[in-house]
Amino acid sequence: MSMTASERFRRYLSGQSVDRMPVIEWAPWWHLTLGRWYGEGLPPECNSVDAVQGYFGLDRCLQTGVSYFTPASPTVIPGSGIGCMEDQADWERILPTLFPDVRTVIPEAHFDYLRATHERGDTLNFFTVEGFFWYPRVLFGIENHLYSFYDYPELYKQMCEAYSDWLIELFDYVFSRFHFDFMSFAEDMSYNSGPMISQACFDEFLAPFYKKVIPVIHKHGIPVFIDSDGDITMAVDWYAKVGADGMFPLERQAGVDVSTYLDKQPHMAFLGHFDKMCMKHGKDAMRAEFERILPSMQRGKVIASVDHQTPPDVSIDHYRDYATLLHEYAARITHEGGDISPCPVFAEQERSES
Amino acid sequence: MSALLLNEISEKLQRGKAKDVAALVSQALEENIDPESILNQGLVSGMNVIGEKFRNNQVFVPEVLVAARAMNAGLKILKPALAGAGVEPLGTAVICTVKGDMHDIGKNLVKMMIEGQGIACIDLGVDVDPQVIVDTVRDNDVQLVCLSALLTTTMHGQKDVIDALVAAGLRDKVRVMVGGAPITQEFASEIGADCYTLDAASAAKEAKRLIGEMRG
Repeated sequence: MSMTASERFRRYLSGQSVDRMPVIEWAPWWHLTLGRWYGEGLPPECNSVDAVQGYFGLDRCLQTGVSYFTPASPTVIPGSGIGCMEDQADWERILPTLFPDVRTVIPEAHFDYLRATHERGDTLNFFTVEGFFWYPRVLFGIENHLYSFYDYPELYKQMCEAYSDWLIELFDYVFSRFHFDFMSFAEDMSYNSGPMISQACFDEFLAPFYKKVIPVIHKHGIPVFIDSDGDITMAVDWYAKVGADGMFPLERQAGVDVSTYLDKQPHMAFLGHFDKMCMKHGKDAMRAEFERILPSMQRGKVIASVDHQTPPDVSIDHYRDYATLLHEYAARITHEGGDISPCPVFAEQERSES
Repeated sequence: MSALLLNEISEKLQRGKAKDVAALVSQALEENIDPESILNQGLVSGMNVIGEKFRNNQVFVPEVLVAARAMNAGLKILKPALAGAGVEPLGTAVICTVKGDMHDIGKNLVKMMIEGQGIACIDLGVDVDPQVIVDTVRDNDVQLVCLSALLTTTMHGQKDVIDALVAAGLRDKVRVMVGGAPITQEFASEIGADCYTLDAASAAKEAKRLIGEMRG
């Protein structure tokens, strides 16, 4: 049974049998890790995510992201935590500079590139936008964003309303040009003790907008993942309720245990969860980690993968061992004769077809 | 009457009502309630409830932030009266993220919760060189150093600070508390920290204990 990367991924999330589990890294590698590996024999021509994935024999998994900023928008330095607005007046000032024409956000040449990688059959393509926690955080800045739930509740909703309207237009345009294998909302809403906000906050400020946009994505047959670091044990239920199909990266260091998620949300897919901190200890430690996840891989739509970028204390030889083990364990997962429920997007399609 | 008023300060603080807390603290002072009682039975009591609820996932980061802001609003009114009455902070902590780490939300939360215990904080900010921490410990009456690191690439900066304190002969002058997403008890023990806590509320509780130890 030979499958393209897209076919395999879709069947896996549909609960159907596959030749093996997808073998992917969803995140690019840290420059510090790559810097070390170049010194340990990684060829210098491996200077793109695509090339590094190919070097280690992984399925290609390429991310396409877009921005809602335009050249006229205020400058926000990525990762600084400093926003570009504080209140209603600021919002009204910057609003006209946001949300470019959706036909301009992805160059035509990139659509051609996406189609070429898809036709090659070895690549998963996913589309990423900021979620309804992340996007206001960028505009407000980290601290003011957390105050905004109390200081500017109506403004928060106005901002998300405008963004969700633009996203709907964006999704309809982009997905009519290219069928991504999945999409992700960048959120990072949790830290190592749980979510940063309460369920009441989520229900009031985030859920209405997810409920507005996820059906539009599902209409195109594309599964939706939420990317949130940290302990998502509480948040996974909240995202399940708004229609998300899966989550990643399920960090072990934050105490995540995917087996408990499969118990409570068996229809969801989970990507990641392989404890990056064990990799420096070598092959035996990594095998033990795969053995820990294996029962979850066997009973649900778990795609084991490094749970958020390989740290720079991992040698290239240890990463080669990891890739070999990932293939070995992936080959053991075919879900042949298994009773695996489909993700919501595919369950909806099954219902509408029957 | 005073118990009712102090309870109201605590309740308004827990709900993040900064203006109300400031007004109630003023009222309490006008009613000649002693400043230390306003601090401990009003403000600190309210922050303790928030801390406990935070630890139990009953309230979350925004609720802690608005409560801490209300605490600061009350403290601003209360501080001159506390000074006049000779009430001192329980002790002083230095807090920062370590060299290379720009992420300060966890550090800020810990700072607010520690201040909520009546402990003074010297906030050195983010990306702080070990020598700056050493100099601050040497030049101030500090009992506790709190070090935050969010990344696996920066967590070893906590050990650099401890090593610098040892090299400067100041290690015995202070307790060192470490925290952050990648930090574990095992790592904290390995680098010679005195304390690791999982969250900001626990950090505040431990800060009070450690400062108590240092001050005998």
